[in-house]
Amino acid sequence: MLAALVTGIATGAVYAAVALAYNLMFSTSKVLSVTTGHLCMLGGVLGAWAMGNAHLPMPVALALAVAGGGLAGWITDVVAIRRVLARSDEHLWLLSTLALATMLQQAVGLWWGTEPKPFPRLLAQDFGAGLGDQKYWLPVVVAAAAALGLELFYRRTLYGKLFLAMSEDAFAARARGIPTDRIRSLSYVMAGMLGALAGFAAGQLTFAFFALGLTLTLNGFIALAVGGLGSNRGALAGGLALGLVNSLATYGLGGEYQQTISVGLLLLVLLLRPQGLFGVRALRPV
Amino acid sequence: MGNGGRFARAAGIAFGLIVLASAAQAAPPPLRIGWLSSLTGALSSAAIAQNQGVQFAVDEINAAGGIAGRKIELLTYDTAGDPTKAVNFAKKLVFEDKVQFVIGPVNSGESLATVPILAKAGIPNLVIGALDELIDPHRYPLAFRAINTNRQWISPANDYALKVLKRSKVALIGDTSGYGTASTKAAAELLEKAGVKPVYSVLVDPNKTDLTDEMGKARAAGADVVMPWSAATGLLARVLNARGEAGWKVPVVGHPALMAPPIRKLLNKPEYWENAFAVGYVSTTYTADGKLPERTQALLSRIRQKLGTGELDLMFWWVALGYDTVHIVEHAVKAAGGTEPAAIQKVLEATHELKGVFATYSWSPTQHNGFPDHNTLMNLANTFHDGSFQAAPQQ
Amino acid sequence: MLAGALFLIGLPLLAQDEYQLHLACLIGCYWILIAGLNLAVGYTGQLSIGHVGLLAIGAYVFAILAGRNGVNPYLALGAAGGMGGLCGLLLGLPSLRLPGFYFAMSTLAFALIVSELILAQGGLTGGGVGLAVPGFPKPVDTPAGFYCLVLAVSAVVSLLAWNVARHMWGRALIAVRDSAVAAAAVGVPLFRLKLTVFVFSGVTAGLAGALFASLQSYITPDTFVFDLGLFFFVCIIIGGRGSILGPFLGTVVLTVLPEAVAPLARLGNFFYGLLLLMVVLLLPEGIGRLVSVLRERFWPVRLESVAVAPDLPRLARALGHKQP
Repeated sequence: MLAALVTGIATGAVYAAVALAYNLMFSTSKVLSVTTGHLCMLGGVLGAWAMGNAHLPMPVALALAVAGGGLAGWITDVVAIRRVLARSDEHLWLLSTLALATMLQQAVGLWWGTEPKPFPRLLAQDFGAGLGDQKYWLPVVVAAAAALGLELFYRRTLYGKLFLAMSEDAFAARARGIPTDRIRSLSYVMAGMLGALAGFAAGQLTFAFFALGLTLTLNGFIALAVGGLGSNRGALAGGLALGLVNSLATYGLGGEYQQTISVGLLLLVLLLRPQGLFGVRALRPV
Repeated sequence: MGNGGRFARAAGIAFGLIVLASAAQAAPPPLRIGWLSSLTGALSSAAIAQNQGVQFAVDEINAAGGIAGRKIELLTYDTAGDPTKAVNFAKKLVFEDKVQFVIGPVNSGESLATVPILAKAGIPNLVIGALDELIDPHRYPLAFRAINTNRQWISPANDYALKVLKRSKVALIGDTSGYGTASTKAAAELLEKAGVKPVYSVLVDPNKTDLTDEMGKARAAGADVVMPWSAATGLLARVLNARGEAGWKVPVVGHPALMAPPIRKLLNKPEYWENAFAVGYVSTTYTADGKLPERTQALLSRIRQKLGTGELDLMFWWVALGYDTVHIVEHAVKAAGGTEPAAIQKVLEATHELKGVFATYSWSPTQHNGFPDHNTLMNLANTFHDGSFQAAPQQ
Repeated sequence: MLAGALFLIGLPLLAQDEYQLHLACLIGCYWILIAGLNLAVGYTGQLSIGHVGLLAIGAYVFAILAGRNGVNPYLALGAAGGMGGLCGLLLGLPSLRLPGFYFAMSTLAFALIVSELILAQGGLTGGGVGLAVPGFPKPVDTPAGFYCLVLAVSAVVSLLAWNVARHMWGRALIAVRDSAVAAAAVGVPLFRLKLTVFVFSGVTAGLAGALFASLQSYITPDTFVFDLGLFFFVCIIIGGRGSILGPFLGTVVLTVLPEAVAPLARLGNFFYGLLLLMVVLLLPEGIGRLVSVLRERFWPVRLESVAVAPDLPRLARALGHKQP
């Protein structure tokens, strides 16, 4: 039972980190990118490759994974968002990010192989630590630190305030002379780095596996929708709720219905409180 | 050189063409074998190894002049593990390529769809999927299995757990994939036949990140042996890791994937692989003096160059199985004196103890499963070395 | 148009072998689903990437009724369509109120749930082992006969879809796709319209599933992977949203291409992703519109500039001014 709680919190933290990455991109572009989970997957695979195959030291591997995630985030913006946002069709970004996510997943599958591969130990710790093992608390630390860091970033830095301004009203921000394209690119790079960092930290829990991206895109989104789109507190709460519900349901009923249960949670929240637990109701559909 | 020279040259070419044409007419038509292999996709590692064996056997036979003077033409299609593609390619092989034999597909899920199609088209089919339902001499008279059945994997594992290890409180762990659910069910049925009801049984997602809970529950239920039925190496590694980290000294007995080389790297500590036993084959098990069976060693020496110079990092029985399938075709065509399906069926149904590398095959009119029970045995999971394993202790 | 119809009817005579006929039937099954899905995706802009779940439901209903319980295959076919429609309704009711990305994700989740339930309910569905699927009785028991059945169903479905798109509510649907708010403002019954279209796409997916299962002759959960749902979606987008011929050509080309060109099959989804991205970025109207887009580009229709010269004296007269 205790183990179910601990794994629930750990996987929940990964979902929360993906939800934070969603939020970061959403704040400047009002786009929910299908590639979000894949950024996380990329961090895990790159980290495993750098340490396991190229035998680089851990800090270098971490830097490489985060840089790779940032690059993937930047590519998402340049290829799938920039050209598409200019058009009025609101569905196009969904299609372009879906296309990019599919390509990313298949490319990693062809390069890395389709079997889950091991992720090396990050910190020196004996495996006998049981539930105190790093694979459980590393993702939690990263998710918490990321949420805290983002909060400070929004409140204390100029760029953070620019993000907030764009999230309030991108046109007004542009009219006030904010280089919105550059800010949006920055937010995508940051989201990619955050996702990859989370994937790196959770590597020992999930193994380095190419098909992880789509699962994380879906579950991170459920966490986001439950917590409330745009809210970082909501992302943390939603991620933890989803992780715990999933893990406790699997503990009680076995793994046969876990997808059904997590979507059940989403539907319940959306029916009772469509804006999510911490979300704000959007008032302007036009 | 004038016109005369040109004329002579033209005549020479014409003569050459005529000779070539008549030679082509004299040479018997090639034997076309279709090979449905999931070389890419989620289940590719077994197929890639089998493909090495199939390809090597074809090259060897062709270099030696073919089967009864007929060269083999191998048509390989990559199904990517998708049953829809497997059906498409099976029809293509039958109706467009007009093959005389089909080997495969590799995965049971694909074979379930292609076996009836090939049966209806009247093409002899060598089945290499393990699922029991694939073979039925009445409905699919031309389908012959070269690999063991799923039961022939489960039964030795059950016997080993109950009789050799003398355990009776079994915890069954399967994954939620098609293969996992089907085999876990079959394993439970076979255990109940032996008078043992599992104390704990669970199906988990093959990508579930942690199995501490499931193992904890199995322990709480009083299990004294854990039997995982899954082909997912990631899941099996997590079973072993959860057992090791909990410090639980329980034997793990199950599917051959439990001893697959990729598991080694997925384990937190190498010693977590101890006290684990998987179903294996006599043909790829080292004898007491550290040698491989004669035929396995002979094939290994010949094919090693092809597989790379170092030690093998794939399970050699896959290669041996692929190699054998082509030789079964050779045996059938030679004995039948042609490729007439009815004659092939007759020959294969009368085949008794055909000695291959992977196994010794016997088929009969009522039994199209050619793999004998005594060709499997239990291996120690952590003894992988150069493609083969060591036998598990028998007490 | 007529030539195309004649070609489709005469295909069993033209096809050189059963493999080509099989591909034609497969295209037909896919098209039955896509024709319905196209109304939802291409016209009302409901981006469902999980229609493979509805296909699976139709296939399993048919296999269980006709295969296990001996129900007449035609009745089972109808039941599969009905069940597809019902599940489309259930999926559509809560999720159609959601914005685009939410909707796409809930259809993805739906597809995953369906395959999860198929595996979990082994007693009914055969679990991982799957189910054998019967064919249709005479005279549809031959490949050519089955082709005719598929052709007939797809003709009816295409006709219905065409009718809806061109005559009944086509404009309303496109208005919903382009701006839901504007459509609601001019009195389009938004929710009912979306739901009707979605239920129709569920019915066609159920029918397609039944025919697909019968064509495959055996179904397992492995048959209905998410990639197939993505494939349907890509066919529509590449062919061109908001037209019927475009997605049809998309279905034909994308089914035949990987069969003919082996390296493309190796790339698999990467190829679909690349195609989708290129179409979205370069040609959002779809390849089906390539010709007209190129024509616009290189031979634009010259708009005659008509010099407007107001007839001032007449205007003045009309206004009652006196001539100066």
